Amino acid sequence: MPTVLSRSALTSTAIAVGLAAALVATGSSQALVIGIITGAGYGLVALGLVLVYKSSGVFNFAQGEFGTVAIYALYRVHDKIGVPLIPAIVIALAVSVAMALVTERVVIRPLFDAPRVALLVATAGVALLAISLELWLGEARPRFIQPALGRLNRLSLFDVAVSDQRMLVLAALVILAVVLALFFSRTNLGLAILGVSQEPVATELMGISVRRLSSFIWALTGLLAGIAGILTAPVAGSFAPGFLTSTALIPGFTAAVLGGMKSLPGAFVGGIVVGVAQSLAVSSPAFHSIPGAGSVMIFVLLLIVLTVRPQGLLGRA
Amino acid sequence: MSVLEVEGCSIRFGGVQAARNVSLRAGEWEIVGVIGPNGAGKTTTFNIITGFYRPDSGRVRFKGRDITKLEVHERTALGMGRTFQNVGLVKSATVRENLLTAQHLEAGYSALAGMVGLPGTFAAERRLRARADALAGILGLGDLLDTRVAGLPYGVLKRVELGAVLATDPDLLLLDEPTSGMGPEEAHTFGATLLELRREFDLTVVMIEHHVPLVAQVCDYVYCLNFGELLAEGTPDAVRSNPEVIRAYLGQEAEEVLQESAPS
Amino acid sequence: MSLEIQPQASPAVEPVADSIAVEVVSPPFRPGLAGWVARGVVMAAVAAVVFLVPTVRGNVEVHIYTQAVIYAIIGLSLNVLLGYTGQISLGHQAFVGIGAFTSAYMVTVQGQPFLAAIGMAMVVGGIQALVLGAVSLRITGLYFALVTLAYGTMAEESLFNIQKLTGGSAGQPAPKPMWFTTDLRYYYLCLAFLTAVVWVDWRLMKTKGGRALAAVRENPRVAATFGTDVKVYTLMAFVVAGVFAGLGGALLAHNDTFVVRDLFNFQLALVFVIMTVVGGLRNRTGVVIGSAFFSLVGYFFDKLFSGGLHVPGIKVLPKEYAPIVIGPMLLLFTLTRHPGGMGQRIRPIQRWLRGGRFSSRDTHDDPTSSGGERVSDVRA
Repeated sequence: MPTVLSRSALTSTAIAVGLAAALVATGSSQALVIGIITGAGYGLVALGLVLVYKSSGVFNFAQGEFGTVAIYALYRVHDKIGVPLIPAIVIALAVSVAMALVTERVVIRPLFDAPRVALLVATAGVALLAISLELWLGEARPRFIQPALGRLNRLSLFDVAVSDQRMLVLAALVILAVVLALFFSRTNLGLAILGVSQEPVATELMGISVRRLSSFIWALTGLLAGIAGILTAPVAGSFAPGFLTSTALIPGFTAAVLGGMKSLPGAFVGGIVVGVAQSLAVSSPAFHSIPGAGSVMIFVLLLIVLTVRPQGLLGRA
Repeated sequence: MSVLEVEGCSIRFGGVQAARNVSLRAGEWEIVGVIGPNGAGKTTTFNIITGFYRPDSGRVRFKGRDITKLEVHERTALGMGRTFQNVGLVKSATVRENLLTAQHLEAGYSALAGMVGLPGTFAAERRLRARADALAGILGLGDLLDTRVAGLPYGVLKRVELGAVLATDPDLLLLDEPTSGMGPEEAHTFGATLLELRREFDLTVVMIEHHVPLVAQVCDYVYCLNFGELLAEGTPDAVRSNPEVIRAYLGQEAEEVLQESAPS
Repeated sequence: MSLEIQPQASPAVEPVADSIAVEVVSPPFRPGLAGWVARGVVMAAVAAVVFLVPTVRGNVEVHIYTQAVIYAIIGLSLNVLLGYTGQISLGHQAFVGIGAFTSAYMVTVQGQPFLAAIGMAMVVGGIQALVLGAVSLRITGLYFALVTLAYGTMAEESLFNIQKLTGGSAGQPAPKPMWFTTDLRYYYLCLAFLTAVVWVDWRLMKTKGGRALAAVRENPRVAATFGTDVKVYTLMAFVVAGVFAGLGGALLAHNDTFVVRDLFNFQLALVFVIMTVVGGLRNRTGVVIGSAFFSLVGYFFDKLFSGGLHVPGIKVLPKEYAPIVIGPMLLLFTLTRHPGGMGQRIRPIQRWLRGGRFSSRDTHDDPTSSGGERVSDVRA
């Protein structure tokens, strides 16, 4: 395990450095910085997708909505009711975790032996249900949300002015990445999660219930989605029903696929690659005549990876 | 002229040499047996013959034509029919539907014509149905035509599969363990059926078979494979008394005995 | 990897004397005169509802009935992919949208007659489906579902934003054709197109193409051994689905007399999937009913609760959200509890109407029993 981790970590660093060098050389450092930060958000969504896929082979199309409900909860509790920010965030994340747990209990478990495509359709149904409830109980029109740190650009990266909120996102993501890396490499629970997909019986023998672990994984995936939602919505400045599904689900999946669907560091790096590619497509003058260049770029990226390197950039053949 | 010629075919999967330089031939109207212990490469050889595997080297000729690079369905069109060890049928469909599905190339109309509903296709469908029913009659499946395949007993499934393969109108029949799951009595009866079918449908047969008495009863020529290689060939009696063949089978049995007595 | 039938029982793998008859043969059931009359009355009543009710309703309502008919075409299109080939499409709103914009463009910008526009919508729909089908030969199962999702989003954000072709955010007018300018006449026109689609779907499944698709879905190796070119038939199914979807899209455009890109979003794609699965995969009547249901549910919801559902303490549920609130619930119910969908429920009625007994059991002497329609589980 450690050798695999370090190997993929090395490869990922190499890819990231290569990308950065190429972009700085071509002068699109603005696109690069924005792309990295957006991409880190995609990476967070991708982490949740990979965790669930590794443990149960499910493509979770509800992952985006786990995050959107957190935004709605935060907005309700903080902006409307006036609960202070930190407790409000805890409540919002709890809502995400609760939704993930309910999904696991009500939808995933009854379909445990069903074909994986049925589960995919079911999670897509969960996503649509969440969107419809947001439309119904919230409102269809976008809501505006204030970044926690205001809109000032006090810092810069690679000579690019970056808003404080983006900086906060970046810092939070770096801390989160380190915490997750430690969790998965140092704690028994983390190791058990990584082991459950490979050796369900052995995990059971270690005294860890696969069922309990499944609940825990879904809770964790809900938490990651919630964090992604709370961090990215203020950067966008507004949100509407289906926010994280429409902005991050496909990029998140593409990131996970780039990482081979099984690698956590791969998914995170995949997110940054997707973010940068998308940001480049949107800002590059060459693509200005193409409407929706970002989604075209992601579609093409997804097709290329799946046909040329289905095991992902970091996986072995 | 040989109907089927396999010339020095080899294939490797990762580190496993599944077939090494396998050559065999089947003349017109012959029944050729392929025997060998488990994992000897018999089904691999079948998969090379029918096109599921491309050999790394070697060639397959069918009726004098090099078919090494043809797709599975193209080989079916040339007159090659094949059964599977684990029964190759559309399990959710009925017996009749399977016999109809197998007549894909006999339909005489294009899928588009069928879809649009050209008048000729209705008559063609009636013809296909009559042929399916007749075939079912020959194989004693007349009462089961509207029964779903999934629930049928194994022995009946094998017979339905044989019917389906015959429905493709083959000249060469490749049977992968046609008597698996049968007792010695039934296997003997199957031998008689096979000889009759050969006469009725003008068939050349290559079959993977474990029942030695059946092989002796019907086969004109026998190949024995072991570890992906040809171990021996000749008349059934010659192969049966070949010391290497005996050793290969004994070795396996000895291993099986050892495994069974070992604590697991 | 693909959607296919879940067998009720696994084959017993044991040596069995092959002379054992599986079921005792009884003479096939035929209804008496009264039975046939009863069946005739029921069919006439259904026909009367479909043909006559719209004549006594207002234009607004007829417009919605027409949409139900068009949704049925779209449902049958998706059923070809989901049901017959087992490939899931989460980008079907793009299939439909491409048909809608093609037809609107042909009529409004090119000044072509309606039939030419519809024909072109079907051709373009077929071609784009062919391309996606070629992708499905290399990328399968969950990953293909992902590709279709990204494809739908790309179409929504990019393709449908090309000002010259779609009118951009302003949209494109799509007037009703000559002779069919009233809502009622247009309804009958769409009904005629639905009949044609049902006919093609029925003949497809009754002839070699449909049998080949069933074999390919369940076991490609067996299908190939039976002489089926697996690739060609997979592509054929995509083209058929694309042509149906193109037709549905074009009819939808002219029903609304205007196409806007915002209609073809991810939610619509999911509603299409839901109506097909809830209707019952591989069950033609079930799919038609399921599709019509989801097209009509918003309107009748409004009728029933006049302006929305008032639950004390909770906000009013407006009619336009009814399909996407009710849909996912029905979907989850169908998947977890009732995999056959509506199609399974109506099976006894169908059997009875065709002259069989009113029974939900498949018996081998039942003239209406046929394979591939009983259980419509979605499986990998």
